[in-house]
Amino acid sequence: MTFEKIIFYLFATILVLAAVRVITSRNPVHSALFLVLAFFSSSALWILIEAEFLAITLVLVYVGAVMVLFLFVVMMLNINVDVMREGFIKYLPIGVAVAIISAIEMGIVITGNFSGDKSPALVRKGADYSNTEAIGQVLYTEYLFAFEVAAVLLLVAIVAAISLTMRKRPNTRSQNPSSQVIVKKEDRLRVVKMDAEGKGS
Amino acid sequence: MQSIYLAIPLAPLLGAMIAGFFGWKIGRTASHIAAITGVAVAFVLSVIVFKHIVIDAAEPFNGTVYTWMVSNGINFQIGFLIDKLTAVMLIVVTFVSLMVHIYTIGYMHDDPGYQRFFSYIALFTFSMLMLVMSNNFLQLFFGWEAVGLVSYLLIGFWYKKPTAIYANLKAFLVNRVGDFGFLLGIAAVLMYTGSLDYAEVFKQAPSLSGRTMEIFDGHAWSILTVTCILLFIGAMGKSAQVPLHVWLPDSMEGPTPISALIHAATMVTAGIFMVARMSPLFELTETALSFVLVIGATTALFMGFLGLVQNDIKRVVAYSTLSQLGYMTVALGVSAYSAGIFHLMTHAFFKALLFLGAGAVIIAMHHEQDMRKMGGLRKYMPITWITSLIGSLALIGTPGFAGFYSKDAIIVAVRESSLAGAGYAYMAVLIGVFITALYSFRMYFMVFHGKERMDDHTREHLHECSKVVTVPLILLAIPSVIAGAIFVDQMAFGGFFGSAIVVDESHRIATEVTHHFDSWWGLILHSFADYPVYLAAGGVFTAWFLYMKRPDLPDMIQQRFALVHKVLVNKYGFDRFNEIVFAGGSRLLGGMFWRVGDEKLIDGLVVNGSAKSIGWFSSIARRFQSGYLYHYAFVMIIGLLLLLTWIVFR
Amino acid sequence: MNNEMAVIEMPNLALVMPEMFLLGMTCVLLVLDLFLNDRNRIITYLLAQLTLFGAVVITFSQMGGEAVTGFSGSFVRDSMGDILKIFIYVVTAIVFLYSRQYLQLRNMFRGEYYALGLFGVLGMMIMVSAHSFLTVYLGLELLSLSLYSMVALNRDSEASTEAAMKYFVLGAMASGMLLYGMSMIYGITGSLDIKEVGSYIANNGANNIILSFGLVFVVVGLAFKLGAVPFHMWVPDIYQGAQTPVTLYLGAAPKIAAFAMVMRLLVDGMEALYVDWQQMLTIMAVLSLALGNVVAIAQTNIKRMLAYSTISHVGFLLLGIIAAGPDGYSASMFYVLIYALMSTGAFGMIILLSRAGFEADTLDDFKGLNERSKWYAFIMLLIMFSMAGVPPTVGFFAKLWVLEAVLNVDMVWLAAVAVLFSVIGAYYYIRIVKLMYFDKAEDNSVIVADVDLKVVVSANGILMLVLGLFPGMLMAVCQQVLA
Repeated sequence: MTFEKIIFYLFATILVLAAVRVITSRNPVHSALFLVLAFFSSSALWILIEAEFLAITLVLVYVGAVMVLFLFVVMMLNINVDVMREGFIKYLPIGVAVAIISAIEMGIVITGNFSGDKSPALVRKGADYSNTEAIGQVLYTEYLFAFEVAAVLLLVAIVAAISLTMRKRPNTRSQNPSSQVIVKKEDRLRVVKMDAEGKGS
Repeated sequence: MQSIYLAIPLAPLLGAMIAGFFGWKIGRTASHIAAITGVAVAFVLSVIVFKHIVIDAAEPFNGTVYTWMVSNGINFQIGFLIDKLTAVMLIVVTFVSLMVHIYTIGYMHDDPGYQRFFSYIALFTFSMLMLVMSNNFLQLFFGWEAVGLVSYLLIGFWYKKPTAIYANLKAFLVNRVGDFGFLLGIAAVLMYTGSLDYAEVFKQAPSLSGRTMEIFDGHAWSILTVTCILLFIGAMGKSAQVPLHVWLPDSMEGPTPISALIHAATMVTAGIFMVARMSPLFELTETALSFVLVIGATTALFMGFLGLVQNDIKRVVAYSTLSQLGYMTVALGVSAYSAGIFHLMTHAFFKALLFLGAGAVIIAMHHEQDMRKMGGLRKYMPITWITSLIGSLALIGTPGFAGFYSKDAIIVAVRESSLAGAGYAYMAVLIGVFITALYSFRMYFMVFHGKERMDDHTREHLHECSKVVTVPLILLAIPSVIAGAIFVDQMAFGGFFGSAIVVDESHRIATEVTHHFDSWWGLILHSFADYPVYLAAGGVFTAWFLYMKRPDLPDMIQQRFALVHKVLVNKYGFDRFNEIVFAGGSRLLGGMFWRVGDEKLIDGLVVNGSAKSIGWFSSIARRFQSGYLYHYAFVMIIGLLLLLTWIVFR
Repeated sequence: MNNEMAVIEMPNLALVMPEMFLLGMTCVLLVLDLFLNDRNRIITYLLAQLTLFGAVVITFSQMGGEAVTGFSGSFVRDSMGDILKIFIYVVTAIVFLYSRQYLQLRNMFRGEYYALGLFGVLGMMIMVSAHSFLTVYLGLELLSLSLYSMVALNRDSEASTEAAMKYFVLGAMASGMLLYGMSMIYGITGSLDIKEVGSYIANNGANNIILSFGLVFVVVGLAFKLGAVPFHMWVPDIYQGAQTPVTLYLGAAPKIAAFAMVMRLLVDGMEALYVDWQQMLTIMAVLSLALGNVVAIAQTNIKRMLAYSTISHVGFLLLGIIAAGPDGYSASMFYVLIYALMSTGAFGMIILLSRAGFEADTLDDFKGLNERSKWYAFIMLLIMFSMAGVPPTVGFFAKLWVLEAVLNVDMVWLAAVAVLFSVIGAYYYIRIVKLMYFDKAEDNSVIVADVDLKVVVSANGILMLVLGLFPGMLMAVCQQVLA
């Protein structure tokens, strides 16, 4: 077993364990943190196959931006985990059964076909080879169309997010300082003239 | 030219739609203007087509307008075949239809269903045009059924009158029998040729002539014979040949204009037209031709007899129509197709004339149709009188009038024919001439001459009808006189129709034998050397003697020959037979199916049973739709897993 | 390295003219909408219609000729795509037209509905013209994202929000499965290009179990989009929960795009695996026919009923694809185009009968429609007859041709099942007819609607009859593009 293989299995094990903990952990903050760990491990695996750009992007974008945002949300929302777990035990047996069956099936499919000698060996490039440049080249040529569509996709996501959040809620009791300031006496006060009481009796 | 062809049927359709859908809004006048304009346009265009095809002798047009659908390699198309046969039919249909449209303004003047009526007759014109212009069996069948539908609607036009409803139901049912045969015939054509297109079918027909089919084991029948007889059964229904004639006299329950248009001039001749159109098929099978001949001869003679005992003015004309249709069929049977079509044309003119004349009398008599209450109308209605006289003279075949040429052509053709049954047919048509003259002039004398038998009130109000009634009468009277002389040369004997009608060499002798009398007056001269003229004259004389000279004689004859009279009044018992055997049998069968099949099996078991079980299943299945997201996701995953399992362990 | 730079080719932009036009116009609309106040919002609507019209013109002018691929095989323009796109534009334009009044009456007349709708159309166009797994997926996501947010557009309605949430989660799951299947197939064939995948499978044998394994996931993803049983669970809830205009949008054009996706992935890409996917689709088709038709009977909400009816129609659509061959595919294509038109018609009637503060979405709202308006009862009758497949409406021919294709490949039992369940299905369509004509109206208010809505709904209904009388033309087009 080479050194590389040892590293691979180490990170692979961490990845699987972290992934399991993401869904079994009781505390959502813990889950999020385990997800960060899983991202780190898979990033390490990508480094092993010389996909440096992807590995770095994964850490930067997912760990650096997405997960931090996620943690903020989780901490702000104060999710009651126990309520969410009510059905967990009830559906556990059947869930486990489904999981086992699908695992067996995948095992049958994969072991029978993906053996080491069949898949081509990894081509090692020299130190001067730039992974980033290679991706960049195909990204703007061969995958130009897909790239542009993905851009539109993000635009739609932004439009959707804004249109769903920017709205006036009915029944909210927020204050509007500017309208409070410009209010005049006549708007609020009405003077009613009437005779003094008790005089005429 | 093609757009003209398309416009011919569409113009009346447009008129029908305007009058039908918007009649309630645009009012009476606008409705009849719309319908009449549509038909008038069609008539003018038909004249153009007639000039193009017949006078300029252009090539026949055969083209597809629209492919409705293609299924299993069979094309279902709408297409036009315009040759001389079609051109003649177009003129006849649109002209008579136009006349009837105009006449209707007067006849239906006070009827609440005025717009509806115009919509129907314009629709009828459209259907009839589609029928005659078709170049394939599908469209033919469409037109066939469409005219049948309009006929049904119009017979029952006065839908509150029980007799009218009974009559239209009867017409519908009897036509069903014919249409069933027709449909089977078309199916046979499709089965053995694989096409519905006339040209294609006719091309393949000779190769079928030797082939046989077995419907019952061990009995080999010629395919063509069976097919042709089936097609002819369709024609028997529509053209009211014995024994499927029973609906036509009853159809007189409808308004008179439609009796003229549909049940005398056009629709009932659809069968004749169809057989002529199918001449390339019929020519290949003498058995079928003999069948046609015998049926036609029987109708021509025996339906004529019935006209003698009728007292309803319209029914007399109706039986006369039956008899004349028989003549046309006889012509078809002896391969004298062109003579048949010729008679169809002349008959359309003079029979429409007679019907409209009868209608005029009926209006004047305040909807009294019994001839025994008429008489002496000559004085009050001179135009109707003259035109009816012309119509009657044309009908009995007075030399010089239109009916003379066409009827004579048929009689000569029958005489020369060597087909099985031709001898019987010859006798039938000869006696028929006498009978025709007798009943025609019986009616004529009873209505227009003799004692005035109507009551005083009616007499005071007797007067000639308005222009919209009399003008069509006059316009129809003209072709009733001259149409025969104009066309006899080519149509009756010559190869006028060109490729449209095919006559086998061995049958041709019969149709061309009189060709040496090549001018119309030559025929007139020659006629005095033959029987028919004397027979007709004898008929007229007998009628005069019995109804003018000795009006007491008919009653005496009636008492002396009570049995014969009874048979005739009962119309040979066809109606009773149908009523008891077919209607009764059907009702019995239906009742059985209803009680056992429908109420117990279908209603009880199938309908209620399945409805209950489906309702039960449905309420169960509904519960799966719980609304919980994880249930949904779970169902998806289970589905995926099942598919996976199946693929992996397959 | 310089050598690699040299091979960059300029993409053929003319190929994607309709897409570029639509995207550009949608961005303009998005910006313009910011500067409009509510009174002038109609300009947004008109611009959206103009955009669709322009797209029709551009696509129409490009029509005909051989299929051309571009963008390194990501994109293909062919006749089938053009026809489907034109139908997508037209159906969407009708949908926008139907929705306008409804949205205005409920103070929901906002630019986002049209912007997202047009983005959805862009997604559909990309799916229709996709020539690579990646493009299919991206187009699908573009469409789905637009749909999710459109369903949620009325945030104040709990039902809409719930529906959007369900749709989003289940849709994401289905997309994940689709992507997983695609990656499996990519792993075996080494290509994302649909044509190359197709030729790889054809050349290297179809009995590779991993291919079949990937295929299952792809089929599941497709089945979810189509709403075939058992991946249909979202359909009724989303149809009912979403606002009627959104349901209208969701139920019509995206089905055409889903059909295109099936054609691209299964037929163009994996026809060699025909036996595998045929069996899977057969199971789903039978289940869809059975469940859709039977459960629809128990519904009282007409939107929900139409949702189940959709499921059953999807079953029919699948039958044509199962039958395979040009006949089967063209029958399916005809079916989906007709279905899109029928579905818009049915929802159009619901919108027509609704008014401010009142949704005509229960069956009872159709009671006695004949007394209120003979004409619209007749229009609804035509649409319902067409859905049930009663001649002479066009629905009959759509069903007929699909059945004919099935019979031609000797799957008599399948045709028999389809006919049986269609008969059961006819019950609930005709029940609406019965309610309209034989029951007493519960409310007798006059039908008030703008002229454009009235005219187009009427035309939509009449179209069912006209196409039924003259089905040959459209069918010929379908046969031609799939020959």
